[in-house]
Amino acid sequence: MTIRRNIRIASGKRTLVSIDNFEIPENRITILLGESGIGKSLMSKALYGLLDPDELDITIDGEPYRTYLARPETATLQHESFFVFQEPSTHLNPLMPLATQMREGSLGFSKSEEAILGTLWQHSPPDDVKKILDVYPKPHRPSGGEKQRILLAMAFKKIDLLIERKQPSEHEIFVFDEPTGSLDNMYRDLFLEMLFERFRKVGFTCLLITHDYSMIEKIHTSHKDIVGKLVFKEVTLVEGKQLLEDFDTDAYLEWLHTQHPSESAGSKTSRSILLAVENGTRVFNRSLIISRDREGEHPCSLELHSGDIVYLKAASGVGKTTLVKLVMGLLRAERLKARLETMQMDEQTPRSFWHKNIWGRRMTMVFQHADEALNPESTVKGTFEGLPALKRATEARIVNILNELFDSALDASFLNKKVKHLSGGQKQRLNLLRGFALDTDVLILDEPLNGLDFESAGKVIAMLQRKQNAGKGIWLISHNEEIFDRIVRKENVYYLRAESGIEKVGPTRN
Amino acid sequence: MRLLKANIFRAKDKLWLCIWLAGLGILWLWNTLYLNPAAFARLSAASLNTLFVGILVVFLAFLFGWLAALALHFLDETRTRIPYLFLTFLFNLIRSVPQIVGILIGYVILTLFIQGDILRAQTAQLVWMSFVISVFVFLEVADVIRERIAFYMKSDFFDAMLCCGISESRIINTEILLKNSRAHLLHKLISVFGATIFLLCSVDFIVSVGLSTDVSLSNFPTTLGGLLATMDSKQDILAIGTVVTNFRNFSALFFQHLQGISTAWIIVFTLLCLYKISNGFVKRHRL
Repeated sequence: MTIRRNIRIASGKRTLVSIDNFEIPENRITILLGESGIGKSLMSKALYGLLDPDELDITIDGEPYRTYLARPETATLQHESFFVFQEPSTHLNPLMPLATQMREGSLGFSKSEEAILGTLWQHSPPDDVKKILDVYPKPHRPSGGEKQRILLAMAFKKIDLLIERKQPSEHEIFVFDEPTGSLDNMYRDLFLEMLFERFRKVGFTCLLITHDYSMIEKIHTSHKDIVGKLVFKEVTLVEGKQLLEDFDTDAYLEWLHTQHPSESAGSKTSRSILLAVENGTRVFNRSLIISRDREGEHPCSLELHSGDIVYLKAASGVGKTTLVKLVMGLLRAERLKARLETMQMDEQTPRSFWHKNIWGRRMTMVFQHADEALNPESTVKGTFEGLPALKRATEARIVNILNELFDSALDASFLNKKVKHLSGGQKQRLNLLRGFALDTDVLILDEPLNGLDFESAGKVIAMLQRKQNAGKGIWLISHNEEIFDRIVRKENVYYLRAESGIEKVGPTRN
Repeated sequence: MRLLKANIFRAKDKLWLCIWLAGLGILWLWNTLYLNPAAFARLSAASLNTLFVGILVVFLAFLFGWLAALALHFLDETRTRIPYLFLTFLFNLIRSVPQIVGILIGYVILTLFIQGDILRAQTAQLVWMSFVISVFVFLEVADVIRERIAFYMKSDFFDAMLCCGISESRIINTEILLKNSRAHLLHKLISVFGATIFLLCSVDFIVSVGLSTDVSLSNFPTTLGGLLATMDSKQDILAIGTVVTNFRNFSALFFQHLQGISTAWIIVFTLLCLYKISNGFVKRHRL
């Protein structure tokens, strides 16, 4: 039975969700796309009966939330299904070892635990997973990626119980809310493989919430047989109301295939090196090795020419963000050798050097989590105040900047809106625009497409290419490989790996 | 009524602020009717002087606290070790002196100034008293400011703003203190105001009951603590005790013993209200 609900959620006077057609087709995997903070998680949690009726004003199909919670089918839904939360730490009980949580309630009846964990930890040393199971989860231990995999393992155990029964109940919905948010692409692909493998055995109802549009290409290339059973939906915001529409995957794939590296003026050799980072940066007793090959057999320096985009890849947690923070002088390295045109930077360079010469003048960095990178108590307009390039900027100038990524009908109320009241996608756009507005020679972007919808992602790529054509250098870190592999030239792709303890830095090849 | 409910009754700090002002207003009205003019003038002067000192201490403590926090922060950031260590030592020295002892020492100096005809004007004496109290309470404000800065320095938004070329002083003053710490600072300033009333009344009372023959309140500006220690007020307070054995005297408290009871009531009622306002403020702003 297809689930179709009208959902209203408000907090005081603020409407958080207002949707008339929230629909989950039966025995299909619905992939729910949309920019971050638009309300995807909230409506799924409301449907699942996970919200607190005392904290929020909620109605489902016009009836009070308490009545919805009291329905027997809501209880069945919660009992028979599984909800993988976006933030794995909030899902796990810190007072119980992971092994116990893995076998709690009906999960204890599943016999597939060992096989699932073996698959999810196939790239780790054999004892790793056993050690993790004995751990009481804490915010920093195990890592976010490991916690996420534990949660996925729980969900798969529950699905395996359903497969054993061979008959899904009409009230079973498996919800995966940003299940790959803390995972790199390798584990994302592994997750998709495991999910589809089970779906091929018994079709069940599943809702996969994500803003990772690059997943679409992976599905279309590696799981063609299942595409027909998938439903792609996108949540958009129209006049303050959420709208659920079919997402045109063909249009996305067509757009993706038309992307190609932008040709900057002049050959690479004729263009100056803006930034060079020598190999063997050391921090936290680890060496960060840059190379041109994934295996890291050919270490080299990272070079960013004017009018180029370089793309740094590595698995989660290796130290991509750490490396750019070291180059930006935000962290103190044990060893660093970098050069911005004629300016040398090393581990001895005082912080005041970056203050006077680099930050906001020659280089800037857009942080990956817009939520944390922006001042929540500041207004949209206030976000641009104090920037060196916009010291006397008028409102009209700020509106011009905003128009690059926001609707053209921006009014004063939007300019005076507090950042904390923006959606995740709006925050990310604001975060990017602040960096772009500075017009520095070097722009470092850490996960620039995080939380953006397809339309905004396209605009960001176009802006990047305009910057590139204007002779600026861009350093990218992103897990959206399907997109950036197309717009970055192969020779500008670098890989990073970390080596602990004794240094083993190979010869540097420029 | 709905607006009133939302704004006043749900916000306990606003409710208690109204109660405080209303309580003082009713007392003032009652005293204009039943307190003799001389005592009324003394009580009014004492209340206004105490209020003046309280407000001035809040202002000075904020100023000193802000300067101290910023000085320590920037000296630490620029690794200017000797001035940083000197300031830290100085502040720790002030911290090691009990507030009440420090204020008493300040009063001794004030007496010397009065004896030497250096500080003649009453306002100047009140400013000195405020300065002395603020020297011993400003570190609490400095600590809050430093905690707020340290908290936000760990977050990405501090680094992200630095990377955008925004000056560190703007990040600290505008983005951290003004936009993100107003409630924390206001809460601390409410407690500084309460502590000032308490310290001022306590010290003035201690001094006026004869801690030393060298230091006398006879030349100091009247405050609530000093007024409470006068013979008339003491007798008024003692009158409360007689009500226990002779309840018929109860009504006399409100007509014949107003000076002492009003003074005591203003002090206790103000401290209670400030405590409630502070708690309500914490709850409303989820500090």
